[in-house]
Amino acid sequence: MIQLIDVTKVYANNVVALKDINLRVDRGEFVFVVGPSGAGKSTLIRLLFREEVATKGQVIVHGKNVARLRRSSIPLLRRTIGVIFQDFKLLPDRNAFDNVAFALEVTEAPRREIRRRVPAVLELVGLKDRAKAYPHELSGGEQQRVAIARAIVNGPSILVADEPTGNLDPDTSWGIMNLLQTLNRNGATIIMATHAKAIVNAMKKRVVAMDHGRIIRDQAEGVYAHEVN
Amino acid sequence: MKSTSFIFGLKQTARGLRQNALMSLASVLTVALSLLVAGLFGLITVNLGHLARLAEQQVEVTVFLDDALSDQGVRAVEAQLKALPGVTQVTFVSKDQALERLKAVFADDKDLLAQVEQENPLYRSFEVRTAQPAQIKPAADAAAKLPGVIKVNYKQEVVERLFRVTRAIRVSGLVIMVALALAMVMIISNTIRITVFARRREIAIMKLVGATDGFIRWPFVCEGMVLGASGAVFTVAALWIGYGWAWNSIRRGLPFIPLLPRQPLLFELAGLIIAAGTLIGAVGSALSLRRFLRV
Repeated sequence: MIQLIDVTKVYANNVVALKDINLRVDRGEFVFVVGPSGAGKSTLIRLLFREEVATKGQVIVHGKNVARLRRSSIPLLRRTIGVIFQDFKLLPDRNAFDNVAFALEVTEAPRREIRRRVPAVLELVGLKDRAKAYPHELSGGEQQRVAIARAIVNGPSILVADEPTGNLDPDTSWGIMNLLQTLNRNGATIIMATHAKAIVNAMKKRVVAMDHGRIIRDQAEGVYAHEVN
Repeated sequence: MKSTSFIFGLKQTARGLRQNALMSLASVLTVALSLLVAGLFGLITVNLGHLARLAEQQVEVTVFLDDALSDQGVRAVEAQLKALPGVTQVTFVSKDQALERLKAVFADDKDLLAQVEQENPLYRSFEVRTAQPAQIKPAADAAAKLPGVIKVNYKQEVVERLFRVTRAIRVSGLVIMVALALAMVMIISNTIRITVFARRREIAIMKLVGATDGFIRWPFVCEGMVLGASGAVFTVAALWIGYGWAWNSIRRGLPFIPLLPRQPLLFELAGLIIAAGTLIGAVGSALSLRRFLRV
């Protein structure tokens, strides 16, 4: 489903964000990417939906090298990947319904489809009654749920999340994690960059630990960090 | 593009125009003024061309006769003129008739008329028309060589000068229009850039959720076209009113200058101006988006 082969990313200011990364994520997996700030987690995430392009190596998503995609094919790639951010990235002048509908509108979905699918995903993320609320009227957790609804409304097979609980308190974070776990059980492949040690340790999922642009550990049913002996 | 996307884009366009109302208005007015200058040049050029063509059609040779020439000599000249190739009509103008015409033109200048009436200084003449404008010059040259002819006048020179002026105005008008078009493109591009900047978050999110470049671009291009077209509509209204006014006052004050009537001319020009405004708007916004879409 996702494969990184010898991927190196050097930014224009000569900062080496990723160095010889090899990673394979199969369909239906739930993968935590952990590590200190500047370890390269976000860069790794951004390579997947071609927000960034690898300097060297191959990033293969759905069997295609995303670096080689024609410009016109990038939107099609992004429609198969739902993206969730720490700062939600909602549009402040649209209510929850319209924020979610936005993702369908840009894919030129018919109006009938929008009216059917948006309420369905809002119900799935537990915001059935908040459809008319604007982002500033919603709590952080609710805003993130709207963002998740927007990410999944297109029915993507991959969900990538960059610190999705970074701005949320622990209880709210758990609500979001339960939602992501449900989506994972329904078949979505999830890759989540995070600092949330408690969450990673409790969920017992695959953990990819990074430091200084390298993968230093890749562990099934892993924890945030090895016990210091 | 599907109809839902079309409506979505129109909403985006309206949003952009509203958010950026003052700047939008400024660009609309700039476009209107620039197009007005262009339109005025167009009207002047077209009318001068019309004038020149009219003059060309009316060309005739005036052959002035020596006062010493006998009536018999006059008839001989008339016969010879009629025999020239292409000549269709030869009309004799006596000294008295010439004076009457002069009186009609200078009706206000009493001093001059009094002087002229005492002793008529005007020559007898023949007015010679040819079938085609091209036959004027040979006819005039031949007439000048006839005995008893002292001078030959024809309007060819006037016509040529008129055409030269028209050409000069057309060329300088084109240069000015190109410069104005560039200015308009820049103004609109700048306005659209402000809208794009105000909505960069939205654009970034659109890209994240998989909007194509075309989908992102078109509301902005639409906005530019609306700006250009609205400016053009102002211009057309101003030209319509202004030309009507100029036409009426020139017809009353300077009836010998035959301006083209407003009806077909301004309709054609209106189409051209609105098309130009819209195109310029589209080019302007496309230009400002090129940089912004590289994410």
